[in-house]
Amino acid sequence: MTEIYPSLAQCAVVAAALKILLFPAYKSTDFEVHRNWLAITNSLPLWEWYYEKTSEWTLDYPPFFAYFEWAMSQVAKLVDPAMLKVYNLEYDSWQTVYFQRFTVIITELLLVYALQLFVDSSHGVSKRAAQAAAISILLSPGLLIIDHIHFQYNGCMYGILIGSLVMARKKSTMLWSGLLFAALLCMKHIYLYLAPAYFVFLLRAYCLSPKSIFRIQFLNCLKLGAGIAALFGTALGPFALKGQIPQIMSRLFPFSRGLCHAYWAPNVWAMYSFVDRVLIILAPRIGLSVKEGALHSGTRGLVGDTSFAVLPDVTPRVCFALTLLFQAIPLLKLFLQPTWDNFIGAVTLCGYASFLFGWHVHEKAVLLVIIPFSLIALKDRRYLGAFRPLAVSGHVSLFPLLFTPAEFPIKTVYTVFWLFLFLMAFDRLAPASSRPRFFLFDRFSTLYITVSIPLIAYCSLVHRIAFGKSYEFIPLMFTSSYSAIGVVGSWVGFLVVYFTS
Amino acid sequence: MARPSPSPHKPRRKAKQAANATSNLINVSLVESHGARAPAFPLAAFLWPARGTVSQWELLPLILMAAGLFRWAAGLWGYSGFEKPPMFGDYEAQRHWMEITTQLPVSQWYFHDLQWWGLDYPPLTAYHSWLCGKLGSLINPSWFALFSSRGSHDPTLKIFMRGTVIVSEYLIYIPAVVVFVRRYSRLSGVATWSASVALVAILMQPATILIDHVHFQYNTVMLGFVVASMSSMLAGRHLWASVFFVAALGFKQMALYYAFSVFAYLLGSSVFPRINIPHLLAIAAVTAVSFLILILPLVVGTLSDTRRGIDSRPDVDGPRPPLPLFQGLAHYLDTEAFNYPVVEQLVQMIHRIFPFARGLFEDKVANFWCALNVAIKLKKYPPELLQRGALLATLVSILPPNLVLFFRPRKDLLPLAFASTAWGFFLFSYQVHEKSVLLPLMPTTLLLAGGHGLSKNIRGWVGFANILGCWTMFPLLQRVDLAMPYTVLTLLWAYLLGLPPTSLRVYFHEGGNTWSQWLTLLIHGSFYLAMAVWHVLAHFVPPPVDKPDLWVVANVGVGAAGFSLCYLWCLARLAMLSEIFPGAWFAKKEKAKTQ
Repeated sequence: MTEIYPSLAQCAVVAAALKILLFPAYKSTDFEVHRNWLAITNSLPLWEWYYEKTSEWTLDYPPFFAYFEWAMSQVAKLVDPAMLKVYNLEYDSWQTVYFQRFTVIITELLLVYALQLFVDSSHGVSKRAAQAAAISILLSPGLLIIDHIHFQYNGCMYGILIGSLVMARKKSTMLWSGLLFAALLCMKHIYLYLAPAYFVFLLRAYCLSPKSIFRIQFLNCLKLGAGIAALFGTALGPFALKGQIPQIMSRLFPFSRGLCHAYWAPNVWAMYSFVDRVLIILAPRIGLSVKEGALHSGTRGLVGDTSFAVLPDVTPRVCFALTLLFQAIPLLKLFLQPTWDNFIGAVTLCGYASFLFGWHVHEKAVLLVIIPFSLIALKDRRYLGAFRPLAVSGHVSLFPLLFTPAEFPIKTVYTVFWLFLFLMAFDRLAPASSRPRFFLFDRFSTLYITVSIPLIAYCSLVHRIAFGKSYEFIPLMFTSSYSAIGVVGSWVGFLVVYFTS
Repeated sequence: MARPSPSPHKPRRKAKQAANATSNLINVSLVESHGARAPAFPLAAFLWPARGTVSQWELLPLILMAAGLFRWAAGLWGYSGFEKPPMFGDYEAQRHWMEITTQLPVSQWYFHDLQWWGLDYPPLTAYHSWLCGKLGSLINPSWFALFSSRGSHDPTLKIFMRGTVIVSEYLIYIPAVVVFVRRYSRLSGVATWSASVALVAILMQPATILIDHVHFQYNTVMLGFVVASMSSMLAGRHLWASVFFVAALGFKQMALYYAFSVFAYLLGSSVFPRINIPHLLAIAAVTAVSFLILILPLVVGTLSDTRRGIDSRPDVDGPRPPLPLFQGLAHYLDTEAFNYPVVEQLVQMIHRIFPFARGLFEDKVANFWCALNVAIKLKKYPPELLQRGALLATLVSILPPNLVLFFRPRKDLLPLAFASTAWGFFLFSYQVHEKSVLLPLMPTTLLLAGGHGLSKNIRGWVGFANILGCWTMFPLLQRVDLAMPYTVLTLLWAYLLGLPPTSLRVYFHEGGNTWSQWLTLLIHGSFYLAMAVWHVLAHFVPPPVDKPDLWVVANVGVGAAGFSLCYLWCLARLAMLSEIFPGAWFAKKEKAKTQ
């Protein structure tokens, strides 16, 4: 088959040009976070990495990420040694900015490579669709906003994830898929949310015989188990020797944080909070009691405990139970039919469950759903139908991350560009489904996408003109409630598609 | 293999059919001759999926959004004069004009404190500044407060100013280019898809983005009016062409670079094939009326200020100073007459717009005079002589293309004639600025939308002119630390069009005349090499103490030589395409040029 144009490399070159032009753009505190980690890993002995707290942005990623920062700091030394001083808080010389921004672009090459693997692993008619999906991930507005403006290293991390997902496609590379995922967990523990799907898939497809679940493939179990143990040993071993594991765990899992993050992630709890706010107004009329203390918290969008005025409070235990429950349901099907498509579907649904019901979910975590979903969104038109509202809501929900006027045209125009281009391209590429579509769902997604236009206009322009700086939480609440409807809607839609195909 | 009709939504089926008939021919140029059909350069690859089935109405918004994103992102970088007191730069000049036009009575605009970026552009710029200033004052009045706002580098003001550039461009330049590309490609029988590729290439032209959106100016407004004028000529609407051209002149006097070509074409089309006096008179009348409308606000404002007793020069005590130009007029004019302030105002405007008193060249510019200055110190000659020499040289250089256009007023020749005239002006005229290279580059780049526009020969030359143009502006950009956007935008464009330094494929094609291929490669290659070496030297090697400007002078020399080649290429191609010389005389050359 002939080459498909444009190639991933061509897209990567042009995208890199735009990303370099964005160097002077707004950068969030995450830039300082990563600079601080460069400084910590470079200037302190291993044993102090997880104890150092000069900066409030302490190291709270697993050790492989710390090693990754250490490796980059070896180059940073040559660029500007001043950025490697732990006490040099908020240091951002232009060399530092160039260096850190460049590292994001360069480490993202891993994503390009993984996506190329994904395209190469698809054959026949679906190759063109795979190429479109791969380009859509590469050019994702989520990655542009979070990595290249806001500042993080998600491109590289998702590159590893996609690499691992692609390797699960063939029996011969399944071991590497598991090990790569384990390594990813040692870099960024947010991927623990996807671990149940990996566990079930590798258990059924790699550790048990395809013929019978009662025949255990011991050699495979041994290889996988030893590999994972070795990886975790490399990551945590040095710290375990010094008895630092509890300290690391307290850094990685700060349960003291509130249910909703500073900006509301568009999940079930955002809708719950929204209902609660509405009930504050309605409660006196329908005879519900309002807790006075809760009136001025939570929805103001500050980090801390959210307390609800009318509805019952939510505990981490409830969140955890709901997440596990909704992860377990799709995993049952995966256990029974461990195909690659079901695996990706299950990974996506694990992402959905944890994003929708998790405790202190960050809106950036929506990539955990969008990126795996993109890999199968073009399977047929029903998948695409479920993907569409997610693509809109997931990206719109990232808008509050950038609030400076100079970046406003970038985030909106780029997102509209991406949505316009890929929803149109996907529409042409997705084959018709063998099963009937749900008429209502298509109508829902069209209506949903239409509503986004006045909503964005209100939140970004009209509100400021009408109310000035007051009631700043209203646009945030609208954005997250709107996005929550989209994410929940696409989740329900995808659950149906997943179980009926 | 017949291509499917590219756009199902387009109303004019007939025009499409005609375009499709020739589309095979054009597309061949995009395809490598060996193996499968494949895009010949990355930009074609990006639009590859849009062949055939995608309508222009789906493609155009995407193109405009992408072009806008790159412009806005480039605008995040610094601007000319950023934190460079005492005078700052072009950004301050434009902001200052918004300040004086909104804060001062009309009659004082051309007189106010001329030492601090006094207004020296024609009235349409002043009106545009007034509009922008009014809008900006709604957001924050302190941005344009008289005196106190000077040198402001409020970051929000920067966003507003960037916004005015991009909005002005999207209102004028971009629609004009879109319409022009549509008409010109259809006229030349180029397929819609190829025209879209050319449109992206034209909109991503690095020089315009760097000067307008990074360094800061509103050139695209003027260029947009010129493109609109050319586009009206293509549509046969000569009266509109005159109106648009007057608007261009009224925005920036630089549009005079094209004036001869506009004149030659409009005159030629009234004379050939048969003399049409009413048409000519109509054009003259419309032009005159447009000029009157252009200066009307200034005249009315001055009269009303005089009636209200507002002096145009409150800083001057005692008797009115003499006119800055045309002193001879003073004998015939009554300084107390009611119309004298108007005359004074207009003379002052002309005096501000055309700085006859300044030298032959201001900074180091890659034109003929500046290059010649390296060999012969021109300062020792009297300025009158130099002015005459410049005038003569300019006339000699622009006469051939305009004679061709006059005798052969053909629509398809317009961009080439405009380009050669503008190159002539750039190289030989008086008081050229390095940014003026945008003027010849615009029609040169528009060639991409014409017949064989994306072929290797034209792409190679248009690319050469553009990259050389950006390179000669590097010292200007470097002064305000804009090396990074320069590098990114120039290399990106070179990459998209498959040009050096990213690819050499544009110089190798099957079936062409190998002799001319090698010659082009040799010429272009040596220039590209010189540019690369220059960058390395300028970055790493400090110039000798006694010659601090050595690198800049080297830049000027190489630039002037390269631009002369561009001028000659445009001229030769114009002569060939116009078939103004007897066929046999040119047959040999033609073979070499069209591949």
